[in-house]
Amino acid sequence: MTFFKGKNNISTSQLIRYSILVYWSLFWLLNIIDKMIGGSLFLWVGRDRFAQFQKFFASAGLESPFIADFALVIAAGLEVFAFVFFTGALIHFFQKNVESSRSWFLMGTCFTLITFTIFSIGDHVFGDRFELLEHTLFWFLSLFTWLVFIRLGSKEGNQVLVLNKRQILGASIISVLLVFMTSFSIFSYNENFFFRRTDPVIAEKVGEDIYKVSFPFLGGSTVFEKTMEKFKNENPNKRIDHIYTVPNELRLKKADALIFYILTEDKE
Amino acid sequence: MKEKTIIRLAILVFWTFFWGLSVMDKIIPDVHHLWVGKDFFALFVKFFGSLGLKNPIIPSFALAIVSALEVINFVFYLLSLFNFSKKKSELSEKWFFRAIFSSVTLFSLFSIADQVFGDRFQLLEHGLFWLILIASWILFKFVGDSEEKSISIGLTKDVKIALGIGAFITVMTSFCIIDFSDKTLSNVNTPVKGQEVVDGVYKFDFPFLADKLVWEKTINSFKKEHPELRINYIYTGPSELNSKKKTHMLLYVFTEKK
Repeated sequence: MTFFKGKNNISTSQLIRYSILVYWSLFWLLNIIDKMIGGSLFLWVGRDRFAQFQKFFASAGLESPFIADFALVIAAGLEVFAFVFFTGALIHFFQKNVESSRSWFLMGTCFTLITFTIFSIGDHVFGDRFELLEHTLFWFLSLFTWLVFIRLGSKEGNQVLVLNKRQILGASIISVLLVFMTSFSIFSYNENFFFRRTDPVIAEKVGEDIYKVSFPFLGGSTVFEKTMEKFKNENPNKRIDHIYTVPNELRLKKADALIFYILTEDKE
Repeated sequence: MKEKTIIRLAILVFWTFFWGLSVMDKIIPDVHHLWVGKDFFALFVKFFGSLGLKNPIIPSFALAIVSALEVINFVFYLLSLFNFSKKKSELSEKWFFRAIFSSVTLFSLFSIADQVFGDRFQLLEHGLFWLILIASWILFKFVGDSEEKSISIGLTKDVKIALGIGAFITVMTSFCIIDFSDKTLSNVNTPVKGQEVVDGVYKFDFPFLADKLVWEKTINSFKKEHPELRINYIYTGPSELNSKKKTHMLLYVFTEKK
């Protein structure tokens, strides 16, 4: 099945296979970069894997950082070779060496499967059921993409998918219109509501020495600090005795963001 | 090595370990040296307690049945893997089917229980495992299209280059990992420095590596550094305040002059 008519016809199967190869190459490349950076930098938050591994091993009684380092280096090595083989498969595929690409892709898949199998073993040992589900899903994705890759290779279609000019025009007009509307809405929201990210929230008195603060979704630590400052300035005779954060169970699902109550007493 | 063999081996190894370790988790019910695991007994007690069945014999009985089913699963996978290693492909497939069927049955039972106990997240989790098991069977059975294909990757020039690049990046990454761990390991026992964000209110950005010992050291060190202040209240910033994900935990200490 071809997507566009022209000199450089590319079949839909090829596009999907390119997508698979690009996805896994980028997936592992970014994982490696994350390990190289380690912590947070400007333009990169990532995940502190060393801290995660260190805490996992410490919870099992292995507190030496060398163990976490060693485990992380092994994981990184597997990820690097998965990346190298997926990228090699992509290069071979680009050069139309389909058979070589398939072998390189299988090697990349093997490294991916080994990585996620080891991670899953770790999840059992450290009792992290959520990560077990996550790693099993990635393990399965890797197997599934392998099957898709080889099946698409063996069933290369030759149907032509010609797009009607009128339909292209219609789709373009609708898309441009929707993009314009969406962009307008986003920029307008930014213009009118970004103050919620920085401005203090008003503490509403709901009882004797009890004040309610309902945070907007955009609110973060800056809003919290400014709210406290404003509250203290407005109530110089009050001492904050306690702050009670309303648990999720008491919130109205998605309609409520963070809510907390400030409990005060009079200063002596 | 044939492609089909590699894929089948990967599937068998994964599920054998999965069920083997699940059984091990039931044998080791608590946290031990080199094993953390999950306290399924506590989970079952809570689940049955929420139904009004507070006698501990009921969760114990349910857990014993679940463990027995997991043992059966593990044995089936192990036999399948054993036959696979002996190149008895047909026998391996038969045991694998039995293993998949019993695993799927177990996850179906879990899903029924999740509905009864109203745990929708676990229902999703068990539903996904159920789906992956079915898909594993399909992959195991029908990957046969490439039955005759062997992996054609020798030690050619491009493979050598790839191995060289891989080794180089691994060394580089290892260096970065060790360097990062050296720089940040002190966070395990270094008190966090507070920053006065509002008059009398101090903020502490706890790093990922910090734990309860760091908390204790932080508060003690803060008290030593500020003998003129009395701590009125300590507020742990909820996750909503930690929107940048850079800090593990935010802590606010409210003080006043003595």
